[in-house]
Amino acid sequence: MMKKCDVIIIGAGVVGNAIARELSRYEVSIAVLEKELDVAMGASSRNSGVLHSGIHYKPGTLRARLSVQGNAMMKDLCSDLKIKIEYIGKLTVAQDEDGIETLHSLKEQGEANNVPGLEILDQEQMQQIQPGVGGIKALYSPSTGIICPYGLSIALAENAAANGVEFYLGHGVTNISKNSREFVVNTAQGEEFEAPVLINSAGLFSDRVCEMLGIDEYRIYPCRGEYLVLDKRLKGTLSTLVYPAPRKGGAGLGIHLTNTVDGNILIGPSSEYVDEPDDFASTSEIMTQLKKEGHELLPELSTTDFIRSFSGLRAKQNPPEVGGYKDFIIESRDDFPGFINLVGIESPGLTSAPAIGLMAKEMVGRFVDLKDKDRFVSERPGSVGFFHELPEEKKADLVAKNPDYGEVICRCEQITKKEILDAIQNPLRNSTINGIKYRSRAMMGRCQGGFCLPRIVEILKQEFGYKPEDYLLQSKGSPLFSGRVR
Amino acid sequence: MRECKMTEKELICVICPNGCELKALIEEGSQTVVRKISGALCEKGPAWAEQELINPMRTIASSIIVDGGDYPLVSVRTDAAIPLKSISNVMKAIKSIKVKAPVKVGDVLIREPAGTSCNIIATRHVNEVFDDSGI
Amino acid sequence: MQNIKHDLVVIGGGPAGLAAAISARRNGCRDVLLIERAKTYGGILNQCIHDGFGLHRFGETLTGPEYAQLYIDEFKAQRLEAMLGTIVLSMDSGRNLYVSSRNGFKKIEAGAVILSMGCRERTAGAISLPGTRPAGIYTAGAAQNFINLQNIMVGKQAVIMGSGDIGLIMARRMTLEGAKVESVFEILPYASGLPRNIQQCLNDYDIPLHLSTSVINLHGKERLTGVTVAEVNEGLMPVPGTERYVPCDTLLLSVGLIPENELSRGANVVMESRTGGAQVDDTLMTSLPGVFSCGNVLHVHDLVDHVSEEAELAGRFAVEYLDGGIQPRESYIQIEPGEGVRYVLPQKVSGARDFTLSLRVAAPSRNQSVWVKDSEKKLARKKMLRLHPAEMVRIKVKANKLGSAKRLCVSVK
Repeated sequence: MMKKCDVIIIGAGVVGNAIARELSRYEVSIAVLEKELDVAMGASSRNSGVLHSGIHYKPGTLRARLSVQGNAMMKDLCSDLKIKIEYIGKLTVAQDEDGIETLHSLKEQGEANNVPGLEILDQEQMQQIQPGVGGIKALYSPSTGIICPYGLSIALAENAAANGVEFYLGHGVTNISKNSREFVVNTAQGEEFEAPVLINSAGLFSDRVCEMLGIDEYRIYPCRGEYLVLDKRLKGTLSTLVYPAPRKGGAGLGIHLTNTVDGNILIGPSSEYVDEPDDFASTSEIMTQLKKEGHELLPELSTTDFIRSFSGLRAKQNPPEVGGYKDFIIESRDDFPGFINLVGIESPGLTSAPAIGLMAKEMVGRFVDLKDKDRFVSERPGSVGFFHELPEEKKADLVAKNPDYGEVICRCEQITKKEILDAIQNPLRNSTINGIKYRSRAMMGRCQGGFCLPRIVEILKQEFGYKPEDYLLQSKGSPLFSGRVR
Repeated sequence: MRECKMTEKELICVICPNGCELKALIEEGSQTVVRKISGALCEKGPAWAEQELINPMRTIASSIIVDGGDYPLVSVRTDAAIPLKSISNVMKAIKSIKVKAPVKVGDVLIREPAGTSCNIIATRHVNEVFDDSGI
Repeated sequence: MQNIKHDLVVIGGGPAGLAAAISARRNGCRDVLLIERAKTYGGILNQCIHDGFGLHRFGETLTGPEYAQLYIDEFKAQRLEAMLGTIVLSMDSGRNLYVSSRNGFKKIEAGAVILSMGCRERTAGAISLPGTRPAGIYTAGAAQNFINLQNIMVGKQAVIMGSGDIGLIMARRMTLEGAKVESVFEILPYASGLPRNIQQCLNDYDIPLHLSTSVINLHGKERLTGVTVAEVNEGLMPVPGTERYVPCDTLLLSVGLIPENELSRGANVVMESRTGGAQVDDTLMTSLPGVFSCGNVLHVHDLVDHVSEEAELAGRFAVEYLDGGIQPRESYIQIEPGEGVRYVLPQKVSGARDFTLSLRVAAPSRNQSVWVKDSEKKLARKKMLRLHPAEMVRIKVKANKLGSAKRLCVSVK
């Protein structure tokens, strides 16, 4: 099959989806090609979920400009997309005089980047914001926030799809060529796509996409960050984010605690270069280290509070021996007119995504005519948050209207059958178990699916006719079962 | 002349929670003969050990596929202990049949499978449903 | 929202809840409501199709579903009331419950509550298992559900981590159903399952059990392809040089059970870190007046017979409470685990009645005695030929022996 369109986007992470959603405002046909069976399967779902204020980036860089702009755009975007967002602020804490100096230079840098509301706080002021916090001074950035990273990526894609963008999941790109006018992209499914504009938002694989076009000046060095997820028992222990003042030359912002919008706390991330762009393993050395630091940062922590580990990969442009950060590459290539290339979008990529969408749109506009769509729908249907977060009276009303709300399938997260059914019948038509998990939060609690996975399997069997071989965890090669017993 | 070999085997008695550590001296020839059992605190131990060494007996539990029931399988067990060595043949019999709902606890589903003297009985109720959705 | 009242609400319809409700009725409570999440009674017993249940109570060895059925039949014969397919979402310290089902979202005010929610399995995340996160990693109980209740086979070549009874039972089950079980790996120097299960589930089928050995890495990006195992030292840390790779497509975890007390915590019931359950007195009443706890939500049992017995006590005392016969006291006799004892409960007793202590020892031993002492004064002793952490010990103490004791210590010597 050959498919012609105006824009091809390679990679359905948060950046690709933000670009797709931005372009879906206009009368252009867009195909998003994604090698995984779902969106946001790489770095976009595997991070701290923090909206950065923009204090850490050198003025004049894309990272500085796009993160501040993206942060400011996020509130309205989340309200349109029905995504939870909380501007809970951040304390960057100094332990000594050197640290205080760092705080002042961060404040100066942040102000040059137009970060709003920065203040240096003394111990007493720090305690008012986060009782019990250590350190002698802190830089407070009120615009730092938290968000569900895969929730945002999925919502962007769903809204883009509702506005006509076509998502081709499970379509890994195998070859790219350029004829006189168009890019021709082949996928592992044997399909061919043609468009005058090609956008590379392949994240950890963006260097490989460049190589397919013969551009060999970029290389991604995956740098792994491991996390531990804590039981919701500790919800409310942190009212703001607390980070140590950064060390010079570090590859990350240091191990810290991050609350999530869903009530868990994350410990991490570590920082370790690995060879493969999909090596999401956890290691015992780092988990031990994270636990140790976790106990120091959070004295209430008990050994039974660890419910899960995961890791993400940063798309670093510098090799391990150099370390540190390079600015994002966001370029419209003169050697390949119509090729818009995004490389090395690591932190603050999540925060910057909406602004990257705008920037990419400007670039696309030089190659195709961007005529406003009459009927762009900016809002995603539904409501913000989960059933269990509603007040009791509201729950009673919903159950009375739809009994599927009354049946709780995931007991740990109190996720209802209605929410599971919605996740199964998702607009992107992902049909994997992890797809249900990321959309509904079922299986994300302390039993990790021990109780609810069997019930979800039953629902898929009884209401959607699944056979044992139809259940996939995440990819085609990840069957859950080997067959029937009898 | 009779060829035989004396060996010592250790067993933990499973008759009661005391869990006596038994030692058995056995003569293995054309027939296994238990010569001596030590370490038992009661008389049940040696009897159990002798049986266990000569012809261990087991009850086994499994499932049989059900048509038209509210469960796809009915759980079953042998209603008496059977020789350990017959288990694989009994399993073959269990795997080869299909029953129709309803099934009640205690229903005999297979009589004397694989030449044993036990029956395979249902260990749960499986009610009949008229909307069978698959498996 | 509908608002209803009941004298006694029993949360959970597994073996503990069923026995507690039946006992409450037999002790004269006319208004008992049992609330169960699933659409059927019996809880986890439904999937435990192996035999070995009921030896203590009924003198015969039954399968899980059969054991449950005896209680279900009695529950129905007593015309007890239940809400099936109903979950208790929250409880407050005043015994107000919010429950949800397809029939509606309701508030229930309970005169007394019996907590009998059972336990859950420890997961790969809970034990921070390193490696990738492919398909094919299941807790033994989840695998048991798929195989025994849903007719779904979880894999063809399995490794079992942990030698708890569920893991051993599943090793046999997988083998009988045609899978190859490579090995069972136990991190401790002794097996945590019953000797009977080691013999009948592993030895009978030539499945090796490796002690002091643990799974230290998982391999495979999509479906599990194998695990790395290593011997561990006394500190349970892997010994370098002993690593080996075991190919498998399935890993079953049988690495412990955790009482499921989120409802109890939500109501601010005082918890005990050693058991993971509530602190209770000799009536099984928690720190909240009128709230009782029994079964695996109180502490993890090895025999369902003991669960039923404990639940019957909870049912009886809940009725006494409703009749005004039990009041929280100003002071209790505290009971503490001493040398060689991992936990003991109840954690405190009134001294008004005889009571039975339930305890677990810290390490296996032979020919020892369990002592209950008031400083140096010996109040009770139980001689044990064999003590094992996997096997709960129960010891009776007479009220008339207590004298003016303030604090009892239970130890092994």
